[in-house]
Amino acid sequence: MARSVWKGPFIDGYLLKKADKSRSSGRNEVIKMWSRRSTILPQFVGLTFGVYNGHKFIPVLVTENMVGHKFGEFSPTRTFHGHAVDKKAKRK
Amino acid sequence: MARIAGVNIPTNKRVLIALTYIHGIGRAKARDIVTKVGITEERRVNQLSDDEVLRIREVIDREYQVEGDLRRGVAMNIKRLMDLGCYRGLRHRRGLPVRGQRTHTNARTRKGPAKAIAGKKKVTK
Repeated sequence: MARSVWKGPFIDGYLLKKADKSRSSGRNEVIKMWSRRSTILPQFVGLTFGVYNGHKFIPVLVTENMVGHKFGEFSPTRTFHGHAVDKKAKRK
Repeated sequence: MARIAGVNIPTNKRVLIALTYIHGIGRAKARDIVTKVGITEERRVNQLSDDEVLRIREVIDREYQVEGDLRRGVAMNIKRLMDLGCYRGLRHRRGLPVRGQRTHTNARTRKGPAKAIAGKKKVTK
């Protein structure tokens, strides 16, 4: 079910501060962040975030289309390399 | 023969049912259309006058996205997700369920027919 509009988008407050800081100072820096649950806001467009996936910080360059999605959607938490071919079964 | 919204030619069925042959129109929308045009549902398509068919066509053109347009819209939405590189897009790319269903078993609608795994023993009683 979609979130109620009257609540507004959910976002962890510290992100706004971090974003402002990187905007005003050194550019092109990956902002490390753990808040996968936060909504991507229009003012984040153009910034790069390192979204933690439990293992690494995945760099996410925010584009206009991403607004409204959550950060976590762009940083997959599972790795699947496909199933290995069973060698034993092949030999028989 | 009545041609509504492109290629659809529903025949001698009741109007309400015949309209559902159009992609994007189900029972609910068919009922809406019928009331807007002012025909009773029980009428059959071959009993409709040309004028009534025209009015149905107008209502559909004006108010609903139907057939090719609708399909294109849906495909565009999926493509947007895939290009974005978000989780839902990745699931679409791999042909797996998008909305968090289990894939350990089932999920055959998305995955297609089961592929045999080489060397797996069949369970025999």
